[in-house]
Amino acid sequence: MANLNTDAIKSRTFDAIVIGSGMSGGWAAKELTGKGLKTLVLERGREVKHVVDYPTAQLHPWELPNRGQMRYGVNEANPIVSKCYAFGEATEQFFVKDAEHPYVQEKPFDWIRGYQTGGKSLLWARQTQRWSAFDFEGPARDGFAVDWPIRYDDLAPWYSYVEKFAGISGNRDGLPQLPDGEFLPPHEMNCVEQYFSESMAKAYGGARPIIIGRCAHITKPEPIHLEQGRSRCAQRTLCERGCPLGGYFSSNASTLPWAAKTGKMTLRPHSVVHSIIYDEKKQKAVGVRVIDSNTKEMEEYFAKIIFVNAAALNTNLILLNSTSNRFPNGLGNDSGLLGKFVAFHNYRAGINAEYEGYLDKTTEGNRPNSAYIPRFRNLLKQETDFLRGYAAGFGAYRGQSDNRSGWGEDLKTGILKPKLNDHWGVGSHMMGETIPKESNYVALDKDQRDPWGIPQLRISVDYDENDVKMTKDFFEQMTEMYTKAGFKNIRTYDSNRTPGLDIHEMGGVRMGRDPKTSLLNGWNQLHQCKNVFVTDGACMTSTSTQNPSLTYMAFTARAADYAVSELKKKNL
Amino acid sequence: MNRREALAKATLLLGAALSGPTLMAMGRWENAIGTTVRDKLNLSNLQKQIIAEVAELILPRTDTVGAKDVGVPAFIEMMINDCYQSPEHRSFMAGVVELEGMKFLDMSATQKTDTLKQVEQKAKEQMKAYNAQTIKFGDNQDLESMNAVKMGLPFWRLIKELTLLGYYTSEGGTKASFDYVPNPGKFELTKLKPGQKTIVY
Repeated sequence: MANLNTDAIKSRTFDAIVIGSGMSGGWAAKELTGKGLKTLVLERGREVKHVVDYPTAQLHPWELPNRGQMRYGVNEANPIVSKCYAFGEATEQFFVKDAEHPYVQEKPFDWIRGYQTGGKSLLWARQTQRWSAFDFEGPARDGFAVDWPIRYDDLAPWYSYVEKFAGISGNRDGLPQLPDGEFLPPHEMNCVEQYFSESMAKAYGGARPIIIGRCAHITKPEPIHLEQGRSRCAQRTLCERGCPLGGYFSSNASTLPWAAKTGKMTLRPHSVVHSIIYDEKKQKAVGVRVIDSNTKEMEEYFAKIIFVNAAALNTNLILLNSTSNRFPNGLGNDSGLLGKFVAFHNYRAGINAEYEGYLDKTTEGNRPNSAYIPRFRNLLKQETDFLRGYAAGFGAYRGQSDNRSGWGEDLKTGILKPKLNDHWGVGSHMMGETIPKESNYVALDKDQRDPWGIPQLRISVDYDENDVKMTKDFFEQMTEMYTKAGFKNIRTYDSNRTPGLDIHEMGGVRMGRDPKTSLLNGWNQLHQCKNVFVTDGACMTSTSTQNPSLTYMAFTARAADYAVSELKKKNL
Repeated sequence: MNRREALAKATLLLGAALSGPTLMAMGRWENAIGTTVRDKLNLSNLQKQIIAEVAELILPRTDTVGAKDVGVPAFIEMMINDCYQSPEHRSFMAGVVELEGMKFLDMSATQKTDTLKQVEQKAKEQMKAYNAQTIKFGDNQDLESMNAVKMGLPFWRLIKELTLLGYYTSEGGTKASFDYVPNPGKFELTKLKPGQKTIVY
């Protein structure tokens, strides 16, 4: 029996365990297996294989049973996930339904989740702007949260590293607030977007640039992309169904198959991680407890290092639930700050208008991208009564209207001969930085459990006065800019939407220099349990305004490189 | 007052041909009346023929295919069953029963059209009575609302919009009407070309 047990333990022992196979977990898998580590990747959901498990990807509109509309009862039963813009008949298979994983909303919070291999990397909006020196210096300069333990220069080479592999299209704009990367050819702005960009360059002397977004689409494949089996984006803009071409970056199309090719990866789906096992004698983590979601049985797996990439809030949940004599309040949580200082992006505001120029033109084709207004507020110095600022998406489109009032032949003609509108529509949406606060937190609920017997996550996250002031400023500044550009019929809207729907929740396990005020050090290691690394959204000290996924990728590659070198030095 | 509200994407392309109130009727609205279990429509053969006839009158076969050719009648029945709420089941059935009572199928072509024009006019008045409103909300988005009523959207609204949706998203309707380009591979400015078919993606 003793031998059998030893064998069983051996078969469950790896060099590294990665919890989660999404955006950052996929990178951890690729980097660790690439450096020769026998790696177990745990995914709580089912397996979704690239191409073969994208059942709707190749369907024509007439092949969708309800032609894109949702069946009765689905939205009613899913008040949370049905709010997500990407949730629909062709994509619902990649979203967690509300009842599948309950949580407690101490304050309203729309928690959007994707439980499958690849996680939300199948569903993301694919915008990949680098963070800048202004972002990593922000908390120190403006006196909030804690100082980041690293600076932009520490991360810059790792941005380059992940960009080359992932495939990022963009224009080299030379902006310090939005550093250039390793770009594939950019998408183009259309004539009205270009006009707005030029007009603002004149009006603000270059202080308010408008550029084409940088995004994770292969506009022209390099050999490294072809080697991954990925090809040029066909601009179908059906991305959230999964892309059979691998035209955009997802773990499924890119990092996971790359890791599998090394022969070093074991991917275990249906594996809900209960907690991380801490060994009091060794004073480090030695493995994880996993609940098989099919059998509901608990198993233990062991490794020298553990990467936690369960997506920001689930990473918090796992660490909070990883209790031991040494860490009664959660792994590495002597400071008591685990789960606190959660923040998100303020996406509640938008502003639309009309422009009566370029009426001889329209556009043809699709673009999985939009124009982008990098943050200009409080950039070089504090200039308003609120902290930080906002970036914004911007787009112009030529609408058309048809005549549907007739009958028979007339009706057909009315529809087949639509009239282009006598204006272009322009629109912008705000992407505001929010300030992490101790009062915005997640914690374990004392009573309620999820279907796997794990405490439910209690979420208490809300807007504050800074967000309200920033929203107002966005309206004022954008109205001024639209007016200077000659846009007419300007309309603002504040949806006041619930936090979470931005799907940019961050923090709770923040990085910092001091174990008293942070959980992770500058290498994404738990200060007090050095062989555990957190490189997903949970590690973020502040939120910046840029979409965060690219930064998670860079953090992950950097931390994996460090972890393996420390492992070789026998420091872990 | 119990009002139903929906954020509706304005109709840029025919693939998304449903108006706000129709989307409301399909559940994208707040202040739910209740999610009661619904019966399937129980349509007689005669009633199915009436639906087919109305759809074909809206989009008849001309030099391009008609509503019947591309399966619109079955599509309408399926959509009402699968996607709509109880008030719309009631109003849809009421509309069908009304036409049945008028012996719609026995009418001459002119009588049929005249009848449907009256039905259309009545629907407009009903929408007014339901206090249906549209507010420009976001980019391509309208906030639409109407009073929650026991009888849902008028029959005419339902059948016309579903005929258009079913026809212009069907394979036959799409290919006969538009330039269907599923893999555009580009995004660029074009000068207006006279006689250019609408491109759908």
